Amino acid sequence: MSKINSKTQDAILFYILRFIAVVVISILILIIFELVKAALPAINLSGLKFFISRDWNPVEDQFGALPFIFGTLVTSFLAVLFATPVSILIALFITEYLPKKLSKIIAILIEMVAAIPSIVFGLWGIFYLAPFVKETLAPFLKTHLSFIPIFNGPSFGIGILTASIILSIMIVPTISSVCRSIFELIPRQQKEASFALGSTKLEMISISVIKPSISGISSAIILGLGRALGETMAVTMLIGNSPIISSSLFSPAATMASVMANEYTDANSPLHIASLCYIALILFFITFSSNLLAKFIVKKVSRT
Amino acid sequence: MKYKYYRKFKNFIFALLVVFSALSVIIPLFMILKFVFTQGMNSLSLDFFTKLPKPVGETGGGMKHAILGTIYIVLLGAAMAIPIGVSCGIYLSEFRKSKLAKTLRLCVDLMAGIPSIVIGIFTYLMIVVPLKSFSALAGGIALGIIMLPIIIKTSEEILKLVPAHIREAGLALGLPRWKVILFIILKGEISNLLTGIILSISRASGETAPLLFTAFGNMYLSYELKEPMASLPVQIYTYAISPFKDWQQQAWAGAFVLVTIILTMNLFARFVLSRLNDKKGN
Amino acid sequence: MENGKIILEAKNLEAWFGDFHAVKGISVPYYEKTINAIIGPSGCGKSTYLRCLNRIHEEIEGASVSGEVLLEGKNIYDRNIDVVDVRRQIGMVFQKPNPFPSMSIMDNVTIGLKLQGVSKKSKLFDAAEHCLRKAALWDEVKDKLDNLGTSLSGGQQQRLCIARALAVNPPVLLMDEPTSALDPIATAKIEELMNELKRDYTVIIVTHNMQQAARISDYTSFFIYGNLIEHGLSSEVFTNPKDKQTEDYISGRFG
Repeated sequence: MSKINSKTQDAILFYILRFIAVVVISILILIIFELVKAALPAINLSGLKFFISRDWNPVEDQFGALPFIFGTLVTSFLAVLFATPVSILIALFITEYLPKKLSKIIAILIEMVAAIPSIVFGLWGIFYLAPFVKETLAPFLKTHLSFIPIFNGPSFGIGILTASIILSIMIVPTISSVCRSIFELIPRQQKEASFALGSTKLEMISISVIKPSISGISSAIILGLGRALGETMAVTMLIGNSPIISSSLFSPAATMASVMANEYTDANSPLHIASLCYIALILFFITFSSNLLAKFIVKKVSRT
Repeated sequence: MKYKYYRKFKNFIFALLVVFSALSVIIPLFMILKFVFTQGMNSLSLDFFTKLPKPVGETGGGMKHAILGTIYIVLLGAAMAIPIGVSCGIYLSEFRKSKLAKTLRLCVDLMAGIPSIVIGIFTYLMIVVPLKSFSALAGGIALGIIMLPIIIKTSEEILKLVPAHIREAGLALGLPRWKVILFIILKGEISNLLTGIILSISRASGETAPLLFTAFGNMYLSYELKEPMASLPVQIYTYAISPFKDWQQQAWAGAFVLVTIILTMNLFARFVLSRLNDKKGN
Repeated sequence: MENGKIILEAKNLEAWFGDFHAVKGISVPYYEKTINAIIGPSGCGKSTYLRCLNRIHEEIEGASVSGEVLLEGKNIYDRNIDVVDVRRQIGMVFQKPNPFPSMSIMDNVTIGLKLQGVSKKSKLFDAAEHCLRKAALWDEVKDKLDNLGTSLSGGQQQRLCIARALAVNPPVLLMDEPTSALDPIATAKIEELMNELKRDYTVIIVTHNMQQAARISDYTSFFIYGNLIEHGLSSEVFTNPKDKQTEDYISGRFG
C-alpha cells in the first residue's frame, strides 16, 4: 500500500466516488428514459389528446387521462387548501406559543404523523373516516350548504372529499416542518422590536414572522403539494376509483396514482399498459416541476 | 380605546385557532393510533406471527410470510442503498463545488420527489419484464431507489458538519486524504449516519405502492430472490379491501405490527442514537 | 546560545489566498531542538506562514504557495516529494483542541501509527505511553485510556493533541496559538511542557501573547502584514529590537 504514492491512493478513491456519483445520476436518467419508452405507443397514438379526453375504457382500448388528471389536481389542491393554514398555525404554535419542552414534544408528535405509512391512513380512512363523512359530515354540509353546487350529490363515504381530508392530514407534517425551520431562524431581536412598538402577539407574528417568510412558506406549500400529488395508497382506498369528472365533492373519482395502483397488474392490452405508463410519465413530470419550482423559489429567496 | 380591545380580541381568537389547528392534527393521530392499537390487539394472536394464510374464505392463519418478507426485501434494498448512498454523501461533502457534485445534488433532490408508485413502475419495466416474473429482487431494488436519496442527503448533511480543523488534524499527522475520510471522519460520525439510515429504512418499510408491481405478493412463505414475495404493507392492503371480515381483522393486526415497527425504529433513531451522539462530546 | 544544525529553513516563502498576498518573501532558519516563536498583530499571516511549513495551507481552496521550505536540506515543495510523508515529519497542534470525536484517548494517540500500518498492540501501547508521558498527561489518564478524548478538560485535550502529534515522531512540531483557548493554569502547564519538549523536538509556535513568547522561546520572529520584520534571539528581540516597528509592538504602542 505504501508503495503506491499517496496521491495515487487518493486519486483511486476519488475516481471510485465519482463513478458512483455518475451511476446515481444515470439512474435518474434511466428512469425518465424507461418511462418515455414504455409510454411511447400511447404517446404516438393519442398524443396531446390524452390530456383532454374523458373516456377511459380499457375494454374498448379507449384511453383518455382527463379524469385522472382532474382527480389528482382537485384532491391535491383541496388537500393543500386544508393543510396550509393548519400547518402554518401548528408551526407558529410550536415556535411562538409553547415553552421549549412542550414544543419539542408536539414537534415529535407531528413527525410521528409523517412516519405513519400511507396504507395505515387508508385503513383508518376506510373504517372510520369514510363512515364519518357519509353519516355525519356530508349530511351536515348538505343541509347547511346545499346552495353551493359542490355540496350536492349523494355521498357514499368515499370520494373526493374524504380523500382530500386524509391527504391534508398526511401533508401537514411536510409543510409545517419546513415552516418551523424558517420561523426558528427569525432573530429574537426582530420579534422584540415589534413588541417594543406595543404590538399584540398576533401582530408581531404577522409583522416579524410571517411577512419575511412568505417565500419560504410558498416553497413549503409547494413541497406539500408535491407530496400530495404522488400519494397513492390512502387515496386509492378512499377515492372510489371511478374515472368520472363531477362537480360534487362527495362524488367518487380517481387519481393518476390510484388508476396505476388499481389497473397496472391487470392490464392486458399493450395499449392499456402504455397508457398507464403515459400517466406515470405525466405524474412524474408534474411532481418534477413542482420540485423544481420549490427549489427555484428557495434560490430566489437566498439571493435577496 | 375600543380599537385596542378589538386587537386584543383578535389576538385571543388567533391563539385559539392556533391551538385548534394543532389539535386537528394531533387528535387524528391519536385516533389512528388508538384504532390501530385496539383493533390490532383484538386480532393479534401468536398465530399471526407464526402461521401462514389459510385458503380464501377460511378463517385463521397469520402473516408470518409477510413479516419475514418485509424484513427480507427492506434489508435487500438497504444493502444496495447504504454503500451507494454513503459514498455519494462522502463525495458531496468532499467536493462541494464541482460540477458533478452540483448535478448529483440536483438529481438527488429530484429523485426524492418521485412518487413511489412511479419508481415501482420503473422497476417493473427494468426488472420484472426481463425476468418475466415478479420478484423479491425487484421489490428490493424499488425500495433501494426510494431509500437512496434520503441516505445521500442525510449523509452529506452530517459529513458537512465536521469542522475543517478535524480534517486538517488528520492530514497533519501525515495521512493520505482517503484514510482521513474513511478512518477518522466517517468512523467518527457512524452513529449519526446510522440515524439517517434507520430513518430511511423505516420509511421504506411502510411503502406499499412500489411493491405492488415488483414483489407483488405471495400467499406462501418464500425466500426466493426471483420469486414474488409477500410484504406486510401489501398483505394489509390485500386483506383490507377484501370482503372477508376475518381478513379485515388481520389487516388491522398487520397495521398494528407495521406501525409499531416503524415508530419504534423512528423513535430509536431519534432518541437513543442522538443521545449516544451527544455523549460523544461537542 | 550556540547555533546548532539547521533542521528547517524557509527560503523566500510566499503564500496567497486566491489573489490575496498573505505571506511575502519570508526566509528564516530554524535550529535543531529550539523553541521558535512567531509574534505579530492579528491577521498578519503568522498562521498562514506556519501552515505553509507543513503544507496544510494548500488544502484550502484557492490557496497557493511559492518559494522553498528545506527540511534537513530537502525542499518539501519539490514535485517529487510525497506531501503525506512531509506532514508525517512535521507535526501540528491547532488553536482549538481537537481530539478526534468518538475516539478514546488511547485511539486518539495511536491513530496516526495505526493508519500507517502499525498493528502490534504492544507497540501501540508503548508508543502511547511514551507520548502521553512526554505530553505530561500520562498520570492523569492512565486509568481511563478508554474514555473518550472529548471527555477531558480543555487543557488536557490540548495535551492529548500534542501527544497525538508526537506519536508519529516528527522532528519538528508546529503549534498554532496552542494556548489561546485555554485558561491560565492550563496555559502554564503547556508552557512548562514545551521546555521539556525542546530536548527532543524543534518547536515553532505562533502566539499572540508576547509575554509567552518572551518566556519560552529561544528565537523570535516578528511579522506584520505577511512581512518578516525581524528575527533573532528572543533575548535580543525583546530587550534590544533592531527595527522600530518591533520596538513599537513590543512596548505596546500598537497590536
